[in-house]
Amino acid sequence: MASATKADATLAGVVSVEAVAALSAAARESEALRARRLEAVRLLEGMTLPHRARHLWRYTDPARFLPSADLTAPAPTEVTSQWRRDDEVVGVALVAGGVVQRVELAEEAREKGVTLANLHASPAEALAHLGTAVPADHGFIETLNTAAWRGGLLLHVPAGVRLDRPLRLRFAAPPAGSLALPRVLVLAGRHASCEVIEGHGGGGAGAQVLGVTEVLLEEGAEVRYSLVQKWEPGVLGHLTAYAHLGPRSRFTMATAVFGGALAKTDVGATLAGEGAESEIYGVTFGGETQHFDHHTEHRHLAGRTRSNLDTRVVVTDAAHSAYTGLIRIAPEAAGCEAYQENRNLLLSPHARAESIPELEISNEDVRCTHGATVAPLDPEQLFYLGSRGLPRNQAHRLIVFGFLGQTLARLPEATRERLEAMVAARLHGD
Amino acid sequence: MSQQPVFSCSDVHVYVADREVVKGVDLTVPAGEIHAIMGPNGSGKSSLVSAIAGHPAFTLTGQLFLDGEEISELEPDEKARRGLFLAFQYPVAIPGVTVGSFLRAAVSARRGQDVPVREFRRELQAAMEALEMDRSFAGRYLNDGFSGGEKKRLEILQLLLLQPRFAMLDETDSGLDIDALRIVAGGINQAARGGEMGTLIVTHYQRLLNYVEPHVVHVFINGRIVRSGGPELALELEARGYDWLQPEAAAAGGVS
Repeated sequence: MASATKADATLAGVVSVEAVAALSAAARESEALRARRLEAVRLLEGMTLPHRARHLWRYTDPARFLPSADLTAPAPTEVTSQWRRDDEVVGVALVAGGVVQRVELAEEAREKGVTLANLHASPAEALAHLGTAVPADHGFIETLNTAAWRGGLLLHVPAGVRLDRPLRLRFAAPPAGSLALPRVLVLAGRHASCEVIEGHGGGGAGAQVLGVTEVLLEEGAEVRYSLVQKWEPGVLGHLTAYAHLGPRSRFTMATAVFGGALAKTDVGATLAGEGAESEIYGVTFGGETQHFDHHTEHRHLAGRTRSNLDTRVVVTDAAHSAYTGLIRIAPEAAGCEAYQENRNLLLSPHARAESIPELEISNEDVRCTHGATVAPLDPEQLFYLGSRGLPRNQAHRLIVFGFLGQTLARLPEATRERLEAMVAARLHGD
Repeated sequence: MSQQPVFSCSDVHVYVADREVVKGVDLTVPAGEIHAIMGPNGSGKSSLVSAIAGHPAFTLTGQLFLDGEEISELEPDEKARRGLFLAFQYPVAIPGVTVGSFLRAAVSARRGQDVPVREFRRELQAAMEALEMDRSFAGRYLNDGFSGGEKKRLEILQLLLLQPRFAMLDETDSGLDIDALRIVAGGINQAARGGEMGTLIVTHYQRLLNYVEPHVVHVFINGRIVRSGGPELALELEARGYDWLQPEAAAAGGVS
């Protein structure tokens, strides 16, 4: 099936109406949710694989994300990550084998009306928001996910509720040869505030993960979101995470990408309400023959919105990274500020990185800058540190830590400390 | 004073690509002595000390001895851990690396063991006070956005903390106002006070030498030491410039 699909590049038949209906029935989903899935199946009938000339797929063959396993077949429920108690968080959930294995939410959060639950069985009013930040036709991966996602989580923080400890959502990638399609929906009510750490780990060689995360912020809401990916080597994964921002809301996204053989991310925010602010910070560290492909987007639809983006990539060995970043400012979005920076550090002569910033600005009254650099280690910096007695590998570590640390320093403390520890571990393992 | 000089070199030639910029230098610096190398811009004096430290842009031939050990084949970090120090004319910025974490790593490397955080902090504060540096300095990124004077102070702070055997100070006085010059000179004198260290000051002005008195002054022109003398030689250079020595440089070139 998969080879025929690749040959004619059509996506028809990748997933069947019957299989999706059966999946939905087995999960006892509402009629509305089933209808949404079937609509996505119909969308796929008319879709083809994106052409490689399209900028989003210039560096990565989309066919590698075509399901290699039947995406509605029962998934193995092997839980690869250890469950451990975590007092630093107010809530925690684990999804593995396409199933929500466990959800825990502290009493204090439940009392305030916070919901952390299995998305399959969520109330209609919550499910109605699906597709707001990532529409079903965002791209073929998102359409596939909308049709056949399994193991989804809903987090709802009601209006006025402020959580001072983070929530941790953990997703275990499947074993070799299988596929996971996780889905996350975060709803932050008016003036609600929360911090979420979405972590992806585990996985076997050739396992595929096609995940979609949506974060909706109502007026004045504040969400700090971290997307931490540390898959085992060999995983092929695509993670899409977008926020939709209401007036004067604030969104901070931190991405940390370390694992997998092929890891593509599509991360962004739609600033739909006046005065909304979005910040995206990203760090990536890869080696061996890892291939990373990052896309970011800040879409300013309303006036006086502000966005800032700073992503940093370190690649060593024969690893490859591509970055494309788009700032889009709508005609009616006056008085906006948008900044975008992508820096790449090459630690070996065989490591490669590309960076393509793009601007689409349809309003004159904006302040917008973007910058991109790709550079090897600076020999002057290495000599300076060497002249102070630091051996070459230690000098490397210090420079890399500094390079990533500037971005890490912008993050909320809890996230920053975790990521710093991961960067340090990755550096020492190098 | 020990019998053996802390630093000596013989027949040192330095090349940038194919161009010879240092054309045969012999130098001996005993412990406790301060030597000054003075010369016009472009004479090769900065190339000499950079190459001795092991800057990869230079190729060096000849022999270098630090405490009797031949070190010309060693990597820059190996030389540094044995006690060779270069205060840079233009220290490079390393954004994201704080002064404090860098200094602790450097001090630990020099001493061959991790220096406990509290002990290090105490030492650092004492050294910073001596150089009239604000405590907030330790939290800033290394040389990132530093003024010229701040960079030079940080170099001398490292001189105090690393306690090298042989220190080469490359144009440490340039870009300093008179107050900063006095403070930096105080740091150099403090480092040299124990009488254990050899010091080589590279400069083209006399003014630092008003505060740090050299035992020996070498005049460096066109890649060679053309004359050596006592501190009075620096004063003579200040009064007369370098031109009167140019024929000697030419003559020295003719001899070799």
